[in-house]
Amino acid sequence: MDRGSSMSKATQAGEGRGGLSAQEFQAKLKTYRLNESEYGLICDLLGRDPKGIEWALFSALWSEHCSYKSSKVHLKGLFNTSKRVLQSFGENAGVVDLGEGERVAFKIESHNHPSYIEPYQGAATGVGGILRDIFTMGARPIALADYLCFGRPTAPRMTQIVDGVVRGIGGYGNSVGVPTITGQTEFHESYDGNVLVNAMAVGLFRKDDKVFLSKAKGVGNWVVYVGAKTGRDGVHGASMASESFGADSAAKRPTIQIGDPFFEKLLIESCLEVMKQDLVVAIQDMGAAGLTSSSFEMASKGGVGFKLHLDQVPLRDSSMTPEDILLSESQERMLLVCEPGQFKALSEVFHRWNLDAVKIGEVTEKKTVELHWHGELLTEIDPDLLVENAPQYKRPYKQLGPQNRVSSRQAWVDGLKSAQGAKKIDGLLTSLLRDVRGTSRKFIYRQYDCRVGAATARGTSDSVGVVRLKDSNRALGVVLGCRPHVMRLDPRVGGLDAVAYPAFELALKGFEALAVTDCLNFGNPEKENVMSEFVASLDGMNSICAALEAPIISGNVSFYNETMGKNITSTPSTGLVGLRESLDHLPESFFTEEGQAIYVLKQPGFVSGGYAQEIATGTQNAIGELDGRVVGDFIRGARQLSKAPQVRATRAIGKFGLAYALSRMCLEGVGAVIDHEGLKLIRTDVDQAALFEEHFYEAIFVVDGKDTTAFEDYFTAVRQVAPIAELHRIGRTGGTSLVIGSLLESSNKDLKTAYTSGWGENFESLA
Amino acid sequence: MSQKIGVLRFPGTNCDRDVFEAVEGAVPSTGKKPEWLWHADRFDAKAYSALYLPGGFSYGDYLRSGALAARSPAMQSVREAAERGVPVLGICNGFQILCEAGLLPGALVKNAGLRFVDDWVDLKLANANPTFARAAAEGSAAKLPVAHGDGRFVIAEDGLKRLQDNGQVWWTYEQSPNGSVADIAGVMNEKKNVAALMPHPERALYAWMGGTDGSGFFDV
Repeated sequence: MDRGSSMSKATQAGEGRGGLSAQEFQAKLKTYRLNESEYGLICDLLGRDPKGIEWALFSALWSEHCSYKSSKVHLKGLFNTSKRVLQSFGENAGVVDLGEGERVAFKIESHNHPSYIEPYQGAATGVGGILRDIFTMGARPIALADYLCFGRPTAPRMTQIVDGVVRGIGGYGNSVGVPTITGQTEFHESYDGNVLVNAMAVGLFRKDDKVFLSKAKGVGNWVVYVGAKTGRDGVHGASMASESFGADSAAKRPTIQIGDPFFEKLLIESCLEVMKQDLVVAIQDMGAAGLTSSSFEMASKGGVGFKLHLDQVPLRDSSMTPEDILLSESQERMLLVCEPGQFKALSEVFHRWNLDAVKIGEVTEKKTVELHWHGELLTEIDPDLLVENAPQYKRPYKQLGPQNRVSSRQAWVDGLKSAQGAKKIDGLLTSLLRDVRGTSRKFIYRQYDCRVGAATARGTSDSVGVVRLKDSNRALGVVLGCRPHVMRLDPRVGGLDAVAYPAFELALKGFEALAVTDCLNFGNPEKENVMSEFVASLDGMNSICAALEAPIISGNVSFYNETMGKNITSTPSTGLVGLRESLDHLPESFFTEEGQAIYVLKQPGFVSGGYAQEIATGTQNAIGELDGRVVGDFIRGARQLSKAPQVRATRAIGKFGLAYALSRMCLEGVGAVIDHEGLKLIRTDVDQAALFEEHFYEAIFVVDGKDTTAFEDYFTAVRQVAPIAELHRIGRTGGTSLVIGSLLESSNKDLKTAYTSGWGENFESLA
Repeated sequence: MSQKIGVLRFPGTNCDRDVFEAVEGAVPSTGKKPEWLWHADRFDAKAYSALYLPGGFSYGDYLRSGALAARSPAMQSVREAAERGVPVLGICNGFQILCEAGLLPGALVKNAGLRFVDDWVDLKLANANPTFARAAAEGSAAKLPVAHGDGRFVIAEDGLKRLQDNGQVWWTYEQSPNGSVADIAGVMNEKKNVAALMPHPERALYAWMGGTDGSGFFDV
């Protein structure tokens, strides 16, 4: 191969290549979303110009979406292993050992671009795709969770998008019979033209279930296509998702896939059945870039070759070309490798579930993928060239120091005062409870089946979703993370918080966070500020994952969340899975009984004006620094304290601070009285802003009123784990209103009215 | 009497394993073991002491909820069993299938709000069933979860009058989540051996699920 000459040719801009005129060449690069240097690299790898179908193969597998070309150099440094991790990156999902023979697979994935273009199908197929990543490994899906970021309710099309996304998630998840047990929904103007739809799925392996991988092996084994027929939907979807939106996003509707949850349900049952019978050598779902990515990745990972007959692929439309077939992203399809002698038994199972299993090729010794079309060899190519040799970019970035720091809280004290104007402080609280950013999401969660599977112990009305592990009678907690307003304050703190806050929420219910999956939603990586935030947030995330020994085991990166040059808030969403020894004494999240003691567990050191400051003034400030190791210890201490037998309820004090958290706890009818003296223990200045500022981290503990001494003794032991932690008694439950010193008094009824009516006020037609 | 309980399974049924486990959980008191019944196969109508049609989206709920499942071979055997007096319980999609099969009166259509509804509902027992939840007294309350998009029970006026006159209304909602006629949540046939409801008793068996009012539905 003549590396030098081919490189030099590629760099001569404006020249034609591969028998094409300069103009045709440029047009072709544009169609296939490749640039000239990538073209040069392809020529280097092949030792010649790409021809025919090869353009499409490189276009798909070298897309940002498939190749992670802008992020790979940074992802390599992620904390990704612990003694519990059985499978990390590189497979369809990560797998964690729970002990007692049980293991879980889980992953979160974005479906942002399709959901903006076609909300219902975009969201539905996001759910379908993430489920396939789980059951393709042999795990039965047991829980779903959705992380959603929408624009302002008044943004163009936003009502329709919210409605479509929610219906799509429900329409798919409810039908396949996997409960949606938790979620998070954010609203901000930066998502006006680019919403985020991130779906997470969790699957369970029981004692005798084997983990299946995508690594193809066994020369002479058959390559089998299973599931729905291939249609024209989603052709070029992967490269569409790797581009920013312009004014023509509606014209991209044909690149959207159409989902069929009924087919998926049949696929789940039949795939798990053939795996149970051990009829499968390797298996992978056809996701982004469809048959191309599944076949090339399976061959590349296994170090073997495939001989594929594209004319054998079951088609919905007989006029489809080989390129259409290779790049179609039709849903509910799987590719598997089986021994020839097992094919009959395997296809009988699929037929029983009304699905077709078709042999489309064989595993070969020579490490190339041969693509045949009615007797003609279209190409023969080393799969590693497409899977392993995509370019890796070190996009320019800057090391970011602490952002938006101030030396005094006056910045938000004044800000909140001016925003209130004549409004009293209870007015500010109810306005936040009514605000789309603070109001009830029941409209959304009511549309998701959260109990199918008969294992849900805590559902979408709680801060942590909990499912029971039937065989061991233990509990699995699932929670999502990333608070975009903290990302806007400081991306390193925001990245740390994206793991720390949900881990804290798990700890408050007695769960140990085992591992993390992340979905890194960012803008255009070719812009330095976007890349700088990417690097800073990963750094923050990494520090807390290491401190908690909760590795990042799966996920995806979604760049180019940019519309008309405007980037979204950098949003590294996360999904955490935690384990608890039993379901006994699981703390509530509300005030449910009178006369109980209210405490605040607190880690001093970092405070911000918070979301309330941002809403009021457009800016956010903070004092202090957040250290991953200190936070890790604090979370461990919080977990230990939540296991004190006197604990009745717990809740993290999160966005909008203390008053908002307390009012959420009043929604079940029992109120609370917080003493002025109590407030002084947790706030140096007892003023109105003190009720809304955000302390990283704090939680409310509700404790049996008769047994507070024992609880305080228990805390002494907690201090061994978390020396920095403070515990202060601030009040008691009771009455029918929320009273905070002399600062605020609001009836539970008014709080509830505000919290439940806000949605309808923001989305009139969705009430 | 047979010591077996049949649990029907259609393509798209998704509460099948939940119901199967609920029946299994009741074995210590009933002594009757569950057995799968596959949609494509006929079965011996005499061989089972009770039949369960679990919820889900049989055949994707395409055409109409329950319409395709109602025409499957296994449903012909369900019909025979029902005629012989075997107790049959339909839950959610099972209710829809029994209506589509003509084994129960009325029909289930899209919820009044045109959206899927997942929630806990308060129910009142209008008329007791001799088999399912038989320990509950008429007029007593139960709290069960619902999760459905097509749960609004509809029936013509004369049909409703017959249901009410014959004591075939099984459960009613205290506050209907779906706009059902007369707040009906569950009905029975005239002989009362075929019964169905939209709420999911198999999701309310233990305190950790949020309620225990569903257990009597499997203690047959």
